[in-house]
Amino acid sequence: MDLFAKLINDISRLWTKYSSFYLGGIWSTLKLAVIATVIGVLIGLVCGILNTIPCGRNDNIVKRAVLKIIRFVVRAYVEIFRGTPMVLQAVFIFYGLPYFSNGAVAFRGNSGMWLAAVLVVSINTGAYMAESVRGGIISVDPGQTEGAKAIGMTHVQTMIHVILPQALRNIIPQIGNNFIINIKDTSVMFVIGFVEFFATHRNIVGVNLMYFPSAAIEMVGYLCLTLAASFLLRWLEKRLDGSDNYELVSDDQLVMAAGTYAHPDRGTPFDERHKPSRDEVIQEVKIGKQRGER
Amino acid sequence: MADTILEIRHLSKSFGSHEVLRDIDFTVSKGDVTAIIGASGSGKSTLLRCVNLLETPTSGEILFHGKDVTGRGVNAPEYRSHVGMVFQSFNLFNNMSVLENCIVGQVKVLKKGRDEAKENALRFLQYVGMAPYINAKPRQLSGGQKQRVAIARALAMGPEVLLFDEPTSALDPEMVGEVLNVMQQLASGGMTMLVVTHEMAFARDVSNHVVYMNQGVICEQGSPAEVLGNPQKQETKDFLSRFRNN
Repeated sequence: MDLFAKLINDISRLWTKYSSFYLGGIWSTLKLAVIATVIGVLIGLVCGILNTIPCGRNDNIVKRAVLKIIRFVVRAYVEIFRGTPMVLQAVFIFYGLPYFSNGAVAFRGNSGMWLAAVLVVSINTGAYMAESVRGGIISVDPGQTEGAKAIGMTHVQTMIHVILPQALRNIIPQIGNNFIINIKDTSVMFVIGFVEFFATHRNIVGVNLMYFPSAAIEMVGYLCLTLAASFLLRWLEKRLDGSDNYELVSDDQLVMAAGTYAHPDRGTPFDERHKPSRDEVIQEVKIGKQRGER
Repeated sequence: MADTILEIRHLSKSFGSHEVLRDIDFTVSKGDVTAIIGASGSGKSTLLRCVNLLETPTSGEILFHGKDVTGRGVNAPEYRSHVGMVFQSFNLFNNMSVLENCIVGQVKVLKKGRDEAKENALRFLQYVGMAPYINAKPRQLSGGQKQRVAIARALAMGPEVLLFDEPTSALDPEMVGEVLNVMQQLASGGMTMLVVTHEMAFARDVSNHVVYMNQGVICEQGSPAEVLGNPQKQETKDFLSRFRNN
């Protein structure tokens, strides 16, 4: 019990002294993870859609060639960024771009570091999401596409209004996975000097050597972040699914909807007695104007 | 004839080396209710899917008001918006409510205003008896209800001809009636319909033209009395007797 008391004592000492650093680290981690996940999902969406453009034998040669090239590029991107460690990618891009451009392109200062970190993490997320999105699109029943085509929707309309909403719903668990992975894996960005939650720990223990108490804080911090993230995603999933119940509509909706092209107060073109004209008539009656006098 | 809507001429379709349809010829005029009958695998559904260009015919022509729609450069989505289709498996959009299912095509394809589309959708939902369910999602409905919504969705697009691909084959027996009733109502209202069906009673009582298909060709066609009552070909007789025995 003494050791536990000591640990708690150490943690509270660390926290009172460095809480703003820890909280700042958490904030950076969260910001980076959210931004990179959003961008990554967008990249994944684009790649997934490009990968699932239908292409039959009847399409002309140019379209088929262009699609082949696009698919090759996407495939190469996915394989390369999924197949190499993110730490290395970070180093590769952060130091590689200045090296190759003789310093013309470089990530300078704090904003440069942010840019590099967001770039690396989102490109990495995108590579994973590309496959998830492709899977999500494939998993939607082909009948949905046929139903949409049968009422005259184009490929783009079918995608936007019918397939992608369902595919997105299907890949929310995957997005959640990636978000949680990003919260944790952004810690490798310390290699380019990016200060997030884990880098804060490194900086603090570098001064006072209280490795274990600080690591305990980190553990609890990361766990809280990821638990909150899972909770949020579950909630989002539930929201998207909508209620299990529905209400029967017993009154006549058609009567209620009829003539609502414009708001009733403004009247409809078909309504002779809408308010403005009624007011006009009343006004005319008041000032004694007759139709014949006009 | 001025009121010919669809003309199928020498239509053939192969999947690889397998020839599913061979030299199909028939005409659909305004107000016709054509029943396409035949054994499973005889190419009925493929024929219907070709008419809606969900499958590309290998050769032959489909004339819609005299214009061929099978060639290149034809705006297939535009054509499809004039030709409604009801599927065996309903194919309602799972991410939308019943009402939304009937509105989305009008708004996105026909570019109607939302209020107008809603009123129109409600009219057809009422017609098929699904107006109370406008807030339900497809997954919350029974098969018969889904199919009636699917019919309302197709009707809301204001099609000139409505294609039915075995609309009652995926339904429980007690739900077949409600869907057939709606179809009968439509037929008596003068809707032009092309129906692939296994419901011989429907073909006999509602349609005015019956096409019997066997192994990818039209074996016999004519009025229900001719084809169903007094079949000329041996294949037709065999097919019909199999039905009577069941």
